[in-house]
Parts: sequence; structure tokens; C-alpha cells
Amino acid sequence: MLESSKESLKLEAMKRVVGLIAKGKNASELFPAVVKNVANKNLELKKLVYVYLVRYAEEQQDLALLSISTFQRALKDPNQLIRASALRVLSSIRVPIIVPIMMLAIKEAASDLSPYVRKTAAHAIQKLYSLDADQKDHLIEVIEKLLKDKSTLVAGSVVMAFEEVCPDRIDLIHRNYRKLCNLLMDVEEWGQVVIISMLTRYARTQFISPWKEDGVFENSEKAFYESDEEKRKSAEETKPYAMDPDHRLLLRSTKPLLQSRNTAVVMSVAQLYWHLAPKHEVNIITKSLVRLLRSHREVQYIVLQNIATMSIQRKGMFEPFMKSFYVRSTDATHIKTLKLEILTNLANEANISTVLREFQTYVKSQDKAFAAATIQAIGRCATNISEITDTCLNGLVLLLSNRDETVVAESVVVIRKLLQTQPSEHSDIIKHMAKLFDNITVPMARASILWLIGEYCEHVPKIAPDVLRKMAKTFHNEEDIVKLQTVSLAAKLYLTNSKQTKLLTQYILNLGKYDQNYDIRDRTRFIRQLIVPSERGGALSKYARRILLAPKPAPVLQSAFKDRDRFQLGTLSHTLNSKATGYLELSDWPPMAPDQSVRNVEVAEAMKEWSPAVGKAKSSKSDDKFYSDSGEEEDEQAADSGSDEEGGSEGSTRTPVSLSSEAESENSETSEDSSQSEKSSDSGTGVKKTTTQKNKKLQQAKKPRKLVSVCDRVCVCVCQQLSSPVFVPVHTYELLHRMTGKGLAAQYHFSRQPCIYDDRMISVQLTFSNNGDHTLENIHISEKTSAGQNIHCFSPIECLEPEKSVTVSMGVDFNDSTQAASFQLCTKAEGFNVSIQPAVGELLLPVTMSEQDFSKEQVWGAVFAAKLVSSGALVLVCVVQKDSGAQLTVNTEKTIIGSMLLRELQTVLSQGS
Amino acid sequence: MISQVFILSSQGDHLIYKDFRGEAGKDSINMFYEMVTSLSGAQPPVVMRNKNLNFIHVRHSGLYWVVSTKDNPSPFTIIEFLNRLAALTKDYCGSLSEKSVRMNFALIYELLDEMVDYGYIQTTSTDILKNFIQTEAVTSKPFSLFDLSNVGLFGAETQQSKVAPSAAASRPIVASHGEQGGKNEIFVDVVERLSVVIGSNGVLMKADVEGEIRVKCYLPTCSEMRIGLNEEFSIGKSQLRGYGAAVRVDECSFHQAVKLDEFDTYRILKVCPSQGEQTLMQYQLSDELPCAPPFRLFPTVEKDYGSRYSNDMWLIFIGRIVAINVSVTVPVPKGSLSLSQELSSPEQSAELQPRSKAVLWTIPRFPGGAQLSAVFKVEVPRLSSASLLEVGPISMSFELPKYTCTGLQVRFLRLSPTQPGLSQRWVRYVTHSDSYTIRI
Repeated sequence: MLESSKESLKLEAMKRVVGLIAKGKNASELFPAVVKNVANKNLELKKLVYVYLVRYAEEQQDLALLSISTFQRALKDPNQLIRASALRVLSSIRVPIIVPIMMLAIKEAASDLSPYVRKTAAHAIQKLYSLDADQKDHLIEVIEKLLKDKSTLVAGSVVMAFEEVCPDRIDLIHRNYRKLCNLLMDVEEWGQVVIISMLTRYARTQFISPWKEDGVFENSEKAFYESDEEKRKSAEETKPYAMDPDHRLLLRSTKPLLQSRNTAVVMSVAQLYWHLAPKHEVNIITKSLVRLLRSHREVQYIVLQNIATMSIQRKGMFEPFMKSFYVRSTDATHIKTLKLEILTNLANEANISTVLREFQTYVKSQDKAFAAATIQAIGRCATNISEITDTCLNGLVLLLSNRDETVVAESVVVIRKLLQTQPSEHSDIIKHMAKLFDNITVPMARASILWLIGEYCEHVPKIAPDVLRKMAKTFHNEEDIVKLQTVSLAAKLYLTNSKQTKLLTQYILNLGKYDQNYDIRDRTRFIRQLIVPSERGGALSKYARRILLAPKPAPVLQSAFKDRDRFQLGTLSHTLNSKATGYLELSDWPPMAPDQSVRNVEVAEAMKEWSPAVGKAKSSKSDDKFYSDSGEEEDEQAADSGSDEEGGSEGSTRTPVSLSSEAESENSETSEDSSQSEKSSDSGTGVKKTTTQKNKKLQQAKKPRKLVSVCDRVCVCVCQQLSSPVFVPVHTYELLHRMTGKGLAAQYHFSRQPCIYDDRMISVQLTFSNNGDHTLENIHISEKTSAGQNIHCFSPIECLEPEKSVTVSMGVDFNDSTQAASFQLCTKAEGFNVSIQPAVGELLLPVTMSEQDFSKEQVWGAVFAAKLVSSGALVLVCVVQKDSGAQLTVNTEKTIIGSMLLRELQTVLSQGS
Repeated sequence: MISQVFILSSQGDHLIYKDFRGEAGKDSINMFYEMVTSLSGAQPPVVMRNKNLNFIHVRHSGLYWVVSTKDNPSPFTIIEFLNRLAALTKDYCGSLSEKSVRMNFALIYELLDEMVDYGYIQTTSTDILKNFIQTEAVTSKPFSLFDLSNVGLFGAETQQSKVAPSAAASRPIVASHGEQGGKNEIFVDVVERLSVVIGSNGVLMKADVEGEIRVKCYLPTCSEMRIGLNEEFSIGKSQLRGYGAAVRVDECSFHQAVKLDEFDTYRILKVCPSQGEQTLMQYQLSDELPCAPPFRLFPTVEKDYGSRYSNDMWLIFIGRIVAINVSVTVPVPKGSLSLSQELSSPEQSAELQPRSKAVLWTIPRFPGGAQLSAVFKVEVPRLSSASLLEVGPISMSFELPKYTCTGLQVRFLRLSPTQPGLSQRWVRYVTHSDSYTIRI
């Protein structure tokens, strides 16, 4: 039928084949016939063929190769769905030979126009990685590229790839951190889960702990503050901790997700808050978690597990919701026990009476396992809260008359534990239990009673020998554990009351000697040597009393969930309470905050790429209205940032500005002007801009292009002080002309971001394009000729096809001079000598200065502060307006740079006016 | 991440098996089934582990939906995914049963293919998936009005004209092309679950209502839908609206697609429903029922003579509606041998279930305001007063069609713009018992 010419027949046949797969039968002999249909136009048929191919391609590698060309064709299809599904299937075929093809396809798809295809490319990364781990470096490049992607569709998938391929490359996240936080709301829900868990790990390594002030574990009482504000005030008074604004951003952007419909998202936000938020803020997750309890049975189970872990550490969180954890008759046993666990954890002096009343009804439950668990819970409550121990004991003693064996046995065991923790004044209880001894058949309970009697035989001197007598009668019918305890009891009695029990003990020891179980024989032999005086064992027998009747420490009744908190909440490892493969340990908070600036400046780029969602501080719009109020707006923002640490979500507000406001507005205008003019000149329109400002002599419109680039680096500093993003001109310089480069052309521009390789370096972006007609291979930097200049090379480009271009970044330490950095750029065949010439403005980095520091400031002056990238020497520029003109002062340690800068600025300003 | 997804029938037959990463062996299905069946308890744990392979499963309509993984994903993710998968399968195949899964394996494969890529979940939204799915669903029964004309909603005998045939709500959302053009239907269900604990003295100890409004939409083109709730509907304790008894709930949460701009003033939910089933709104009310609990039960337990004891019960149903599928479970002491019963009408039945140690009293239909009585005499060897303590809390389960405990009503349901074709709109109410316990 597969060979048939009719579509419908083929479809029917394919369905049957897939049906065979579904039933787990082998359909591999049909492979050749199926592969022929891969090029079929019918989408439905095509998809079924894909299902088949993915399943059997591994077994029939040679035949599978036949279909590859079809996929390669489909990758160029105008329909994005077809492109995506072709890539998906291509990458799902686990045939090692096609690795290079896959690599190429992924790289291409990563720059596809359709976000859906890019998303598929992100998924394909993990597949290729698992097929061939050697490709890691290339894949990381692709991941890096996709991380920069601004589409919400891609974000989730690429983070998944990141987690699988290179979870330790946290440096890739820095630049995208804020973008991810801001996008988080719009990413589809499964992506959210992955991103949140990744960000949790990230935040744990990058921010300092917000918990410092409260010690390691905070008590439940402390978790409740009258109001957050008050808490904050007190916290600020006591310690200088201020939360990193990025940390705050993460918390704030995830908070709305607590309302998500997807339980997985809710839980991952909850664990994020648990692991990252300051103690007083964790409470907001409580309500959402309790809401999850109304969900499916399976979800309930896992939520309860997590709550159980949480409730051990912080009772206060869940106390108001205690009623939600009351057990229902319809709950399954494992859910009931979990609820019990939580109730026990939550119990305190105030609510213990209600909890106990609940427990009383649970004890009557039909579900015996549950009833037994309840009794244990009562025991734990009793040890935790000393006031109610007596009440609990009495209640438990009542339960001893219950008809059900398991209940009675459990009660006995718990009573034993309780009595042990208590000073032994409960001889009447022991007596009562001794009376019950005959009726109890569960070995554990019998053993417990025997132990109790032995331990406290001084309190019940009359009963103890009698019990021993009974035991001697039934010794051979008992379970091993009971026999062992009988032997111990006999020994103890022998020591305390040897008159009455000497013969009995001898008898029991004799019985034990010939027991079938070697443990019992061992124990008997040991006891005999210990207590019965003989020639050889004499030394020990002196201490027998101290050995056997030493006061025993009370057992600690603690939760089974005590040790679970070592795992990250909401992970499979936590649920299983053992380490699953691939579990990534959540690192501890770093003692010192790592450099914040890694995220800091890059935000400009992120915002530039993705303007509509940030909007607020985005000032590169060029409508006229913007100019009239931009100064104010930015002033306000600057003021905000001084007072409110959470001011702008962009994080660039961290630099408080304290220059005088007039100067600021002036500054911002000049900066706007220059950026505007730079923009216009870049776009080639060269429109002369008229400003409305009256007292402005520093009009800078229509400047020559070269000078703009000198100046705008300085403007950049001003912008940044004023909490607006960095403007990066896209002006490029030619490094290598295509004629001299024999087809290879290279251009560079200064990206004006702190260099990722070294903070003394300046980052330069190189763009190579191949204008020739043959593929260029292995483009790299071979020789650094200039002395005293450090160059961080880009990783070699393997191949560059005709009409293609590729961008790489490198770092150059110019050593604060405008000397060109020269090096040799090589392809496989040839090498070219090239040099990068920095303009003086490129050597500067913006810095923040306080008013006092900048003492020369004048009322109508425009001021700039910057430092040299490499040496860190300060450069201060001051423009003072006089009646007819302006006076320009440049102060710096490096005189050469200073004079060069002064000269260039002078030219710019004089031409501008 | 997800290594394999498989669906097993309750007998352990493979219905669907898909391997995403090729890291777990093929025998994992059998491994899983052995683990499930070897456990004696009725409820196997959700997460199980075998060597390095972890299984997470949920149960829906008697099928095991299982994911195996070697990695360390969040169990929530997996469970949520499985629940969504089951919901989607139901949406696409109409109903969820072993048969429908068997018949639609191609469709489910296609769905899985689009939902999961290499073990990573891509999307589960119906709207997006609709674009990719080519296969048509095979319905297990051809839809015919004649077969269904006798079956009422939820099994109740209600007036034919007012109630949609129940099978209408269980057909695939993606209609076959052109065949069912006239079936532009939309269902709005208000479902409430009631959990009540009544103390031995007849005092209401605890009462919770959880409710939700569900929409099942078959409209091919989505237009805006407006659902008006009672105007006196109020959230929280302080807020009071209207004059009469307010319809009050404690908490309310909405689907993200619901627009609430008219909710505050007019109590109107605006939503553009996408095809398939969605829960528009969930609400909870705890501790305070606006009405008395629907059933009252007056049990007395007396020791007769010898080894017998008797259990008299009066069951009163307050209300003007009909309750259906009422069943009362009365626990009996261990070792109970036989039961003799006196019931007030022949359609009721009672039987002793030795395994669960309980007497099950079933009443198929219970008209409002009626009183029923039952006397159970149970034979227990070695009866003592202690064993009477084992006659634990009585639990009930029931269904109340056309009734909501909170009093929430849908005032109107409008589609705008009005659909050109005939569009049928159905509003259904039902209250289920979640856990209704009466302590003795």
C-alpha cells in the first residue's frame, strides 16, 4: 500500500505502521518503503513518516541517509512550520555521520527570521550535544547568540539548552539576566519553569544573602512582623545590608507568576522565594501553595511533601492555614500521612488542643496504617511541647484498651519513648502496661514493655519478677526481638533484685544458650559472663551494674523530613530524598557580592534590542517633544534613584547623582543633542537641529562625523550618570578593505561595553565579510606586533562562505594611548597586517562623582567625569559659560591624553557654535 | 527531562509508547507495570524509582499516564504535563477511555510530537497546537441524537428539552470538516464540591465548598463571550452587595484570559474562549455555608444481645431538588459476619463489604424533603463494647444536579457578535460531595 499512487491508501498504510510502533512491534523491515514517502506533499502523511523515521533511523543508518537531502531541502522551505519540523526530525535522527550537517542547520536556523524556527534550533542544540559532545564549543556559541534573542518563544527553549549543555557557564547569563527577568511574564509556561530554576541557581551565586540579619534559621515568631515597612526600617537601622536591585528585580518579576494556572510554575516561584527572598517576604508564597492543595491528587502529594519540609523550618508560614491540612476521609493514605506530618510540625502551645482533638478522631480511622502514624504524631507533639506530655500519655494509655493490635502496639512503642524522655515518675503507667502484657501480641510492643519494666524495675519492684516468670514460661514461643529483651530484663533484675530472680535468670540464660538464633546465643553468653561471677570474667562483672543500668539518653522523636532540606525544593531529588542524576547543587550564598557591573552596563544593549517593554528610561526616541521634558524626567528619575533603591527596573539607577540639577539638565540636553545629531549624521540626513534652550552656546548640531565620535564617548558618561542607557554609535571603521584582503573585508567598531575579558581592555567588535567567490577558512589573529598592548583574540572562525559575514568581539588594552594596536589577521592561505586606531574618547569610561569631589563645578557649567580604561586615572572636563563664549578645562594626570582631548573638544565646540 | 512517555491500560497493555531521548531501555514499561502491580496498596506512590530510572505517573479514566526520566526535573512539571496531556487527549479525541486512545494513536503521536521535543516540553496550549495537528480524531461512537434521547444529564431524569445530551459535550473539539457545521455549541458548567464534617452532636464542624466555572467550547471562531453572575456575588467577608442574602465566597481566582473590567460593578466575566475545555474561575468558601448542609443523618448504635448490634439511621434530605447516586458508607467492626437490613423502599440496597469493613447503603434517587430510614443489624463474633468504638465516622457521597451550594448562578450568557449560525448555549450546574462525613 505504501507504494500505491493514491494518497489515501498511503495514509492508511502509514497509520497502520505507526500503530505497530505504538504496540511495540518491530516494523523496521518496512523502512525502505517508508523512506520513499518522506518527500510527500501531504502534511499528514509527512508527519507520520517523521514519526517512523525518528523511531527507526538509528537502526538503519544507511537508509536513513537517503532522507537527509529531503530534509536539507525542507530547511529552505518558505513555510516556517516545514522548516521547523524538518530541523526537528533531522536533529532527532541519531546518526553520527550527519553531525556536521546538523551543526550547519542549527547555525542557520539560529538566525532564521521566524522565532518558531529559532526555538526549534534551540531544542536541537541538546540533541546534537548528546549525539556528539565534541561540538560543545560551537554549540555554546549558538546558545550565546540565542540567549540574546528577544523573542519570548525562544527564551525558554534556549535556557533549556543552556541547562543541558553548559549549566556552569554562568557568565553567559550576566548580560541577559535583566532581559530574562523582564521577559519572564510573557514566556510560555514551560519555559518559565526552566528559566526560574536557572535564575535561582544564578542568583545564589551572584547575590549576597538577604538572611544575614536573622541568623541561619529564623524562628516562627519572627516571621510575623506588623508590617513590612517597619521591618525594613528596623533592618536598615541595624545593618547596612541593601538588596541588590537585580535581586529585587528577580523577586518582583516572578511574584505575579504565583497566580499562574500551571502548578509547576507556581511551585518553581515558591522555591525561588524560599531560596532567595528575605525571610519576611517568603510568606507570600504560602497562600499559593495552599491553593495548590485543591488540585489533583498527585499534585497534592508533592505539594504536601514540599510544605512538610518548609514547615519544619518555619512554622509561622503555614500556621494560619492549619485547617487546610486537616485530613479528609477521602484522602489517600500517603496524603493523610503527609498532612499529619505537617500538622505535627505546626503544632505549638497555642493550637495544640485543636490539633490533639483532630488527632483523636484520626486514631479511630479505619485505615490502620494511618491510625498508627497518628499515634506516632501524638508522641512527637508530646515531646515537642512539654506542657501536654501528661495529657498525651493519658490519652495513649486509654488507647491501650483499643481492640486493634496495631493501634495498641504503636501506642506502647510511643509510650515507651515518651516515658524515656520523662523523669520516671509514671510507675502506675508501667504497672498498667504490665497488666496488659498478656493481651498484646505484637512483638515490637511486647519488647517495648519488657524493656520499660527492665529499665524502671526499681519503680515496680513487685511486678517485674512476676513478668519475668511469665516470660520464662513462654520464652520459646516468642519472637527474637522479645527474647532479646527478656534476656536483658533478666540481667537487669539479677543485678537489682538477685534474691528473687537468681534462679529465673539462670533458667532463661540456659534457654537462650540453646536458641536457634545466634544473636540470642551471643547475647546470652555475653550476659552470663558479665553478671555471673566467675574466675575469668571477674574484672567486667564489677562494672556490670554500670554497664547495664546506665541512664539512657532519651530518643529524639523527629520528623522524617528533617534532612530533606538539603535538596532544592520542588525537584525530583527532593521528592525521592535521594540524589537523582543531573541534580545541580544549589550553591551557598557568596560571602562577598560578585561584581555587579557584569550585568550593569549590558542592560543598555538589552534595552536597545528590546525597547517597547522597558520604555521608561529609554531616551533614544527622537521626537521633538521628548526634548522639552526629557531633562525633567531624567532629573526625577535620578532623584528617585537616590532615594529609592528599587527605583528603576533597569538597574542603571544604582549610581546616585548628586550634581546640581541645572547642570544635569544642561548635561542631558547636550547628551541628547549629541546623540541625536550623531544619529542623524549616521543616518546621513544631517538635519540641523534647533534647540529651544536659550542660554545655550554649546550647540553641537551638524558636527563632522569624526568629531562626534570623539565626543559622544564623553556624552556617554553623562548619560549614564543621569540613569539613561548608553548610546552606542554604529559607526564602523575599516580594518581591511576587500581588495587588499582578497575577498575578505573586515570592519570594526567600539561597542563601548566593559570588556568581558579584562576590565582594562576595550571591547572591539569585528565584522568579517567574505566578498570573494570562494570559502575562506580559519580566520584568526596570528601575531601581535605592537608592544605593550594586550590583545584578547577572538576564537578562530572555521569557515566563512561567500556572501556571508560574521561578527566577533575582541578586547584590546590600549594602555591609555592613542597608539594603534596592530596585529596580523590571517586566513588559511594568507595574512594581512592591520591596525586598530582608537579615538581618544574611546579610552574613557564614565564614573560617578560626588559634588564635593567635583569642586570646580560652576552654576552654568557642563561637567563630565570619566576615567581612563586602562590606568583608571580620572579625567575631568569642565565647561564654564562666560558672557560671550565658553571656557573649557580638562584635568587629568595623563597630560598627553588631556591635551589631545582638549584639542578635539575645542574643535567640536567652536564648530558647533 | 522526559525520557519516555507511555500510556498503559489498567491491564498493562501498551497503548502509546514514545521514546524521546533513547536513554532508557524498552523494558521500562514492564518494569513500571511490575512495580505498580506488586504494590499491595490501592494507591501506588506518584513517584517511583528503579535503579536510575524514575517513574512519575498519574491516573486518568483508568489509564496510567507515565513519564520516565533519568534526570532531575521538577515533579510538578511532569505531573502538570501529564494532566495536560490527558486533558488535551480528551479535547482532541472527545472522550477519554482505553478505546478512544487506541483508536486515535496516530493523533496522540502527533500531539506528543508537537508537545515534547527531545524530552523538553514545548507547548500544551490548544490554540497553538491546533495549527500543527493534521490528523483527525476517530470518535468511538458515531454521534447520533436518537441513541441519546433517553439519557439525561448526569443520569438524572430531567426534562428533555432543557438539557443537552451528555454525549454532546464529549466529542472532539476539532470538528471534521463540514460534517457538523450546525453544532456551534458552548457549555458552561458550574461545578461545586462540598466537603462537610458533622460532629456527633449534629453540629456542623467544618464545611468547605470548592467550585469552578468550566467552559467547553465548540465554536469554530472565537468571539467574545460575556457571562453574567449573580449581582449579589461578593468576595471576602466585608463586602456585601444587594439586599438579600449575598452569594459569598472567600477566594476567587480567574483564568488568565478572563477580562475583569466589568466584574467589579456588574459581575460580568468577559472571555474569548478558545476551543476545548477551560476553567474560567475557581472559588472557595470555607466554614460558612449559606444554606444548611443538604443531608442530616441521625444514627444510633445499640448493642442488641449476644453478638449482634444494631445501627438505626434516619437520613433526611433538606431541599427541593433531587439528589442522585447517594451512597452512605457505615464502617463496621472487624470480623463482622452478616448483615440484616430494613430499608424503607425497595429501590435502595445495602450490602456488607467485608474487605473494606463497611456497609454500603445506596440510594439511586432521593427526592427533596424526603426522609429515609434504615436499620442494620450486624453480627459480630466476640462483640465487646470496645469493638463498637470501631463504628467510625459515616461518610456519604452524592450528586446534586441543578444545584449550587453557594447559590452562584449564571444570569446570562451572551456571545458578541452574535454567531451567524445557530449557536447553542448550555449552562449546567452540579454539586458533588467531596467528603461528607458524619461522626458518631
